[in-house]
Amino acid sequence: MHDHDLDRRTFVQRTGAATGILALAGCLETDDDTDEDEDTGDPSNGDDAVPRFPEVEDPPAAVYRPTHRESMRMLEPITAGEYTLAPMLSYPHPFWLVTGGAGEDDIERVDPEQGRGVHMMFTLWDDETGIVLPVDTSATITISQNGERIGSPHSPWPMISQEMGFHFGDNIPLEDDGTYTVDVELPPIPTHTTGDLEGRFTDSETVTFEFEYDRAFREQVVGGVEYFDESEWGERGALEPMDHGHDDHDDDGHHDHDGDGHHDDDGHHDDDNGHDDDDGHHNDDNGHHDHGHVPYSALPPADAYPGTRLEPTDEADTDLPRSGDAAIFATLLESGSRLADGDDQYLLVSPRTPYNRVPLADMAMQVTVERDGEPVGDADGTRLVQTLDSEYDLHYGASLAALQSGDAITITFESPPQVARHQGYETAFLEMPPLEFTVPEEP
Amino acid sequence: MTLPDRSALSRRDYLRTLVAIGGATALSACVSESGAIDIPAGTDDPDSLPDRQHAWNDSLSRDDDGNVQPPDHHVLVPLALLDEPTDETRAQLEDAFRTLERAYEWSTDGLLFTIGYTPAYFERFDDALPESVDLPKPTALTASEDPAIDEFDALLHLASDHSQVVLEAEEGLFGDHDDLNGVAVETDLTGVFERLEDQRRTGFVGAGLPAEHTDVSGVPDSVPEDAPFFMGFRSGFEGSQATEDRVTIEDGPFAGATTQHVESLETQLRTWFEQDSHPMRVRKMFSPEHADENLVGDVGEKLTTTNGLTDERIDATEADARRGVVGHAQKAARARDDDGPPLLRRDFNTVDGDRPGVHFLSLQHGIDDFVRVREAMIGDDLDVMHANNGILSYIFVTRRGNFLLPPRSLRALPRATPQ
Repeated sequence: MHDHDLDRRTFVQRTGAATGILALAGCLETDDDTDEDEDTGDPSNGDDAVPRFPEVEDPPAAVYRPTHRESMRMLEPITAGEYTLAPMLSYPHPFWLVTGGAGEDDIERVDPEQGRGVHMMFTLWDDETGIVLPVDTSATITISQNGERIGSPHSPWPMISQEMGFHFGDNIPLEDDGTYTVDVELPPIPTHTTGDLEGRFTDSETVTFEFEYDRAFREQVVGGVEYFDESEWGERGALEPMDHGHDDHDDDGHHDHDGDGHHDDDGHHDDDNGHDDDDGHHNDDNGHHDHGHVPYSALPPADAYPGTRLEPTDEADTDLPRSGDAAIFATLLESGSRLADGDDQYLLVSPRTPYNRVPLADMAMQVTVERDGEPVGDADGTRLVQTLDSEYDLHYGASLAALQSGDAITITFESPPQVARHQGYETAFLEMPPLEFTVPEEP
Repeated sequence: MTLPDRSALSRRDYLRTLVAIGGATALSACVSESGAIDIPAGTDDPDSLPDRQHAWNDSLSRDDDGNVQPPDHHVLVPLALLDEPTDETRAQLEDAFRTLERAYEWSTDGLLFTIGYTPAYFERFDDALPESVDLPKPTALTASEDPAIDEFDALLHLASDHSQVVLEAEEGLFGDHDDLNGVAVETDLTGVFERLEDQRRTGFVGAGLPAEHTDVSGVPDSVPEDAPFFMGFRSGFEGSQATEDRVTIEDGPFAGATTQHVESLETQLRTWFEQDSHPMRVRKMFSPEHADENLVGDVGEKLTTTNGLTDERIDATEADARRGVVGHAQKAARARDDDGPPLLRRDFNTVDGDRPGVHFLSLQHGIDDFVRVREAMIGDDLDVMHANNGILSYIFVTRRGNFLLPPRSLRALPRATPQ
């Protein structure tokens, strides 16, 4: 296993960061009261306090800067069949589940059951195209120690976080220190795929990896947490995507704003600039990931898409119109597009997070078209199909009969993205009012 | 055989553990724990018993709402034939079953049992099963499951409210126990069947029983005290169950038979109870409207004799899915037809292998009925995220088996085409 190499490097980095741990000691809550009872008698205890998880008072109903940046240990990516999976481990922490409705009552904070354990995440991508698979797969995780299974199998949640983008994850309680083996069964992917992805991902694969859960791990992930200045908490904006690439897991990089190119604006995009498309660098090495490089699930910037870009009917102060702070890009591909049926045009709608362009998966939406105030086509609306394309990545699309310039297209969001959320995304993309677009004059 | 530490377990849990262990030692421990229980005797007149093996409902108790209550303790004993069936072994098997019927009343206080035969069993005959019997080999029903398939010959299902009875009956048939509730065992199954110990399955159902298993890894403390099933809600409502008549094969040589599917699955209870809220569990188990309208109560006590699914709620399944969450019961109910629900569920909880799970045992007219309901429950046609698609992301299928439960008159090693 490559893990051993990683662990050695981790060790070196950790000892180097010892002063950082001491400096952060004041930020740690000794959360012992939650699990004191079951911990007595275990000699490895006493170091399983989890970092405090301050919440922002009255956060905006929008993407906002969280209170802190998590640290994590990255394990070596593993390839199985068409998939590559990169496991990442952090300390158990709260996240939010979307519970099937729209509005703030339909999101639910999930707190870890105990401090001992990990927040296990993995990013899954297609080895051939490098596309992160923001898919609704019913992956199954089983965990064992010394050949004995621990707990029941479980399905990880699809999640989004500002630093990690789309990934799968969950808190997993662990009792004992030691080496754990994780089997991830990946069934065929049910998502509609097009382009070079058509007909792919039809086999089941199993990925296996191991990790160490011990004091050193806890010190690394707990000691690496970076709390931001309280004045920044809850500001509209987002953390930069984590730089997974060049150092496998250089947690210190988070502290070193000058030494890390990604953080030269403090990882902090100002909402006023409204540029959803300003940095196309996240995905620039698709298909050529370095050893240990984990791609980030950023969609292409809006100007990378062909077709006639639909114009928001209402003036927007951002490049892309927002609904529930989700940036909604919509374009009309000409008839003859490989995505369109017959002579139809293809409406491609690509909802993404502002700032980081993370695809918003597991939504349901439909469109209605009006021409001179009269409905065109199905008055009840046409459902858009969630689709993963080799060129345009995750989007929602439908073939539509010839639209004309001036046609009004209303996109209705029947359900917001059902993916679980890390801090900073849990108040956005919930209540999503319809957006109206206009087909522009031919250029 | 190591017995569990009596002092570490509640009485009920101790008895449940003994059933799971099985064998003579467990039986004697069970007898000494239970003391002298008065078990009602059976009958010398086999004709007084129902023709259908699956005719249990008239002998089962009912809850306050009038729903049939399943027996508390269950054992599924997988059986492999040692030799090809002969008239002699048929007679031996029938004698053994009649011994059980003489020993125990046909009731939950006594013993209820069935024997079912697999498609693999019937393959030994030159003739195929008649068309009136729909009994294909089981297959995986989703892309994400890879179940072991029951390919042994027969499955004996023993059920009683008394753990002592299921243990004793099993030992009488396969072990050295020669006295069943005062009836001498003259014929057992020795020489006919071999018991496949590694595939033996056990379980329990009843208010409070799941909550007694929080010592098992994977059973969180948050399992509701009163819940009869691990997932935390009542089930088996009269209005959601097929009648025994409906699941009975009426025509052909196996008239009076039914088919049985046993789906063994593991359940993920930690995320279900620790992460999903009660309203979310209600949405996923029943329907979003059940949660919005507060129709269920803590463990389903507000539901009386139905699971509360009106035609409107069932018809709303597709639309609910597009709004984000769809209920398990709601989806499955789409497979109802003019005759109502197609399945008669007799499922029970298990901690076999020290993991929480369910042996989902269901009776239906033909296996295609089961597949139709299961596909409706999977809901591949629905536009909904896996994690919000009923309870699919909390259950993990490990085994499937299909069985024919012949009428009592044909229960002993039937031919594929009985005369």
